[in-house]
Amino acid sequence: MRAERRFNTAGVGLFAALLLLWEVYSRAAGIQDYLPPPSAALKALVQPDVARALSGHLAGTLGRFVGGYFLAAALAVAAGVVLGYSRFAYSVSEVITELLRPMPSVAIIPVAILCLGIGDAMMIAVTVYAAAWPILLNTIDGVRNLDRTLIDTGRTFGLGRLKILWQVALPAAAPYIATGLRVSLPIALILVTTSEMVAGSAGLGYFILDEERSLRPANMYAGIVVVALQGYALNRLFLLVEARALAWKRGMRTRGEA
Amino acid sequence: MKASKLNGVLALAAVLAAWEIVARAGLVNPLLFPAMSRILGSFAALLMSGEIPAQVARSMERAAAGYFLAAAVCIPLGVAMGLSGRVYRALEVVVETLRPIPPPVVIPVAMLFLGIGDGMKVFVIFFSCAWPILLNTIDGVRNIDRLLVDTARTFGLARGKTTLKVVLPAAAPQIVTGLRISLSITLILVVISEMIGSSDGIGYFILNAQRRLKIDQMYAGMITLALLGYFLNQAFLFVSKRLLHGR
Repeated sequence: MRAERRFNTAGVGLFAALLLLWEVYSRAAGIQDYLPPPSAALKALVQPDVARALSGHLAGTLGRFVGGYFLAAALAVAAGVVLGYSRFAYSVSEVITELLRPMPSVAIIPVAILCLGIGDAMMIAVTVYAAAWPILLNTIDGVRNLDRTLIDTGRTFGLGRLKILWQVALPAAAPYIATGLRVSLPIALILVTTSEMVAGSAGLGYFILDEERSLRPANMYAGIVVVALQGYALNRLFLLVEARALAWKRGMRTRGEA
Repeated sequence: MKASKLNGVLALAAVLAAWEIVARAGLVNPLLFPAMSRILGSFAALLMSGEIPAQVARSMERAAAGYFLAAAVCIPLGVAMGLSGRVYRALEVVVETLRPIPPPVVIPVAMLFLGIGDGMKVFVIFFSCAWPILLNTIDGVRNIDRLLVDTARTFGLARGKTTLKVVLPAAAPQIVTGLRISLSITLILVVISEMIGSSDGIGYFILNAQRRLKIDQMYAGMITLALLGYFLNQAFLFVSKRLLHGR
């Protein structure tokens, strides 16, 4: 259903009203030291030195995010296909997985600091660990739920085990893997930002916490605006890529149903 | 025990035994990987001395406050947004602007306003739990059969009663999904906020143990967190099954 997109007057109006209220209240109450008006945050955002610092930190955060996210995807999809396909491998790993999974992933940060110091490697490792879970579990589910006929057909046509994994199981599980990747995206962002806050010397998470501690709240809010935009853009980009990558799947399904 | 379960238990035992042997043989830095027996020993000691229960209790107070606050605010709000297109459109822009903010980033803001006390943590947990509950409630309410609502209205049920007796129960499974997602987020954010600005709680305990190089205690804290996550999830499944079954 394609509803025509009318301009959301009420929504934008309420948003603007809240910003205005904030602006007026902050100026009137004289509390600009810790609640600067939104205009001050915007001014900070376009100040050359702040903007330069922010773009540097943004690049660092994005780099760690990309590194951690893609590494997690590669490892988790590979492991998930194997664990979903082989009952033996699954049964061996099951108990260990069930023990590790409920632990909140951020608890791994201190261990990572201990083993890897406080550099990029630590932050990427932590991100990989946290982002891998949803991808792994969804991939396992996807491979397990795939139509056995597909595999049998592959076998009949003389495909080897590896080829079946790569050319049959993986594409069939693609929608599940996509779900896992979508869930992991915000998790990866959370872990990058958190590790920057707990033990970083660069990145948006570090910048925001540091500006708060240095009592420059306008800069802090500017940093938050950048983080929010980053999250929004990454999510949009993901949906775009997902729609393209899975287009063939949708085509197949509608053809099958018709 | 089923054979498949046995495989898993054996694998776990093998990993633990390998850890123990490798650590005792001095093949790895004992500072980073103390022997498993030492970790479990210090876990038992911390449990007995009341140190771990006390830290867990502090964390759980914060978690419960933020989580239930989020549920209390977001379920009614989600029902309203799901039922009325007007309310949805009015709040849409605010929600869509706040939602992409990674929750840990809210910690500095909360620290500015609320210091590093419980209020800050409760707010951060509230903020991060709010989205899954809100969005799932909206979805759940939107996807219920219009026929149900219309039937109720035809039978003369007032609007409020229809919402309470028809809409909420029909949307309950999806609301429960939101609550479940939020539960694991709660635990993550308790730990993060305690790591960044706190002087107690299990998140603080773990990071502090690492900084004081009490590595066995750090692992003991992690075991505690894993157990906590497991039991919270089980308790949630137990309660939600009862709730949904009672419909």
